[in-house]
Amino acid sequence: MIWAKEETLPREEIKAIQLAKLQQSVAYIYERVPSYRNRMDEAGVKPEQIRTLDDLRRLPFTYKADFKNNYPMGLFAVDKKELVRYHASSGTTGKPTVVGYTRKDLDVWLNNVARVACMGGATPEDVAQISFGYGTFTGALGLHGGLEKVGASVIPMSSGNTNKQIMFLQDMGVTLLVATPSYALHLGEEIRERGIDPAKDLQVHIGLFGGEGMTEPMRDEMHKVWGEDFLCTQNYGMSELCGPGVAGECDRLTGMHVNEDWFIPEIINPETEEVLPPGERGELVVTALGKEALPLIRYRTGDMTRLMYEPCPCGRTTCRMENISGRADDMLVIRGVNVFPGQIEEVLFKIEEIGPHYEILVERKNRLDVMTITVELVDDRLLDSYSQLSELEKRIKSGLKSQLGLATGIRLVAPHTLQRFEGKARRITDLRKDGL
Amino acid sequence: MIRQLSVFVENTTGSIYQVTSALNEAGINIRAISSFDTPDFGILRLVVDDTARAKEYLTSRGFVVRIHEVIGVELEDRPGSLNALLHTMAENEISINYIYSFIIRNGKAPVMVFSTDGYEKALEALKKESIHIISDDEL
Repeated sequence: MIWAKEETLPREEIKAIQLAKLQQSVAYIYERVPSYRNRMDEAGVKPEQIRTLDDLRRLPFTYKADFKNNYPMGLFAVDKKELVRYHASSGTTGKPTVVGYTRKDLDVWLNNVARVACMGGATPEDVAQISFGYGTFTGALGLHGGLEKVGASVIPMSSGNTNKQIMFLQDMGVTLLVATPSYALHLGEEIRERGIDPAKDLQVHIGLFGGEGMTEPMRDEMHKVWGEDFLCTQNYGMSELCGPGVAGECDRLTGMHVNEDWFIPEIINPETEEVLPPGERGELVVTALGKEALPLIRYRTGDMTRLMYEPCPCGRTTCRMENISGRADDMLVIRGVNVFPGQIEEVLFKIEEIGPHYEILVERKNRLDVMTITVELVDDRLLDSYSQLSELEKRIKSGLKSQLGLATGIRLVAPHTLQRFEGKARRITDLRKDGL
Repeated sequence: MIRQLSVFVENTTGSIYQVTSALNEAGINIRAISSFDTPDFGILRLVVDDTARAKEYLTSRGFVVRIHEVIGVELEDRPGSLNALLHTMAENEISINYIYSFIIRNGKAPVMVFSTDGYEKALEALKKESIHIISDDEL
């Protein structure tokens, strides 16, 4: 099922919609968001100079750091009373990235999620279990609202509590699972360990995955665990742009269709910032069209991918983006949560008893991401008793938990144990291979 | 009163050996040693013949080291003497954080080392019971 006719328009029509909305969005942001107006003035570009889609590249970029510098709502283009929803995701340091929606924004967003859900096979007959964590993250409420638009019945399960997850899958006749791909693998294996064969004993046959990338080896594993006929697709988005609903895979599994009438994707070389020709790999830059609360022009996603403009046999004409193949910055995705080393650093630097050096190790154990941070103990006063040392460990863990929203392991080591770097430190070791 | 070294050690193979070989390099003699089965890291407690120099040397080798005052008492080598010591502590409501004994004392009576937060109270109670409290130079 294709949700909207805009997904199947000839390229020229898509471009005409994009140009009209782009001109409107640029005029709108120039009028209402001072920080972006200043940046346009510095670049010497006025809204009326945007005459073709190629003029997009004359516009300045927007960066993740702009959210931090304008925290919490400095990038917003409407008055607070126009807003009907806030969400937040992790920022590069302590403060979250706060986003907001007007009633129209919410409607556009959830329609875009409905498109993505349909790309992944959702129908009004489906019973959908949302196993993303609810809260300020856009994933859970985005898929929740999008699937309701499709007409599916939604179970807002949230993450964790495997026994309850399995009980609902069985008892409610769930047909569609929303989760991070790694959690879906973990859950599937737990089900098999209980002697249940998901392919025979459950009705789940659709997986809509997001929050982290799904590699092809992960998809192969998914079929082994959930059955050969399990249709598992991934979708793409980020809270700054709206949340999920930017792009999604259809059942042909040839990349994620971008909802191009609402988002203009570009691929740039992250170092030179030059726009690369279609088909080349680079950093994805997205301009969100028609957003009222939080218009964003040329947002640097930090995700590395490439775009494919050949038509898809599914009938959609929108361009497709390949699996994300890495990051242009040092962001990590841990259990679907974005983590910046700067956030970790901020917590560690406030704790006097440990030194300034640290190392981050990321592994996947039992299908789930495990992050361990190694720090050096420098304060001998803690050696008075083991409980003081252990209290320090707990204090670091709880500081990180409240900063990142994630449980982390802490390894305390003696001073001078960790490697010292001249120049750029390589503090992160990511042992996750192909996401498995 | 005895001065004890507390050294931070990770729970990894060879971590205690690293401490003892550093002390060996410095020509320091270990009188007593104890560690407990804590999960990821622990504190190695040692009594040595030259506490100040041991701390200095270990610190220079990158260890985190602290000197603590603990109580060492000489016990007669006969049944019930440790029990009598602990009875005194319990009766005076002095709690013991940890306790360990000396390895070898060339034919002399055994020495128990323990740590307590009620340091003054413990000294007083032990003196009252005429239990011999060892000092650094008696080791």
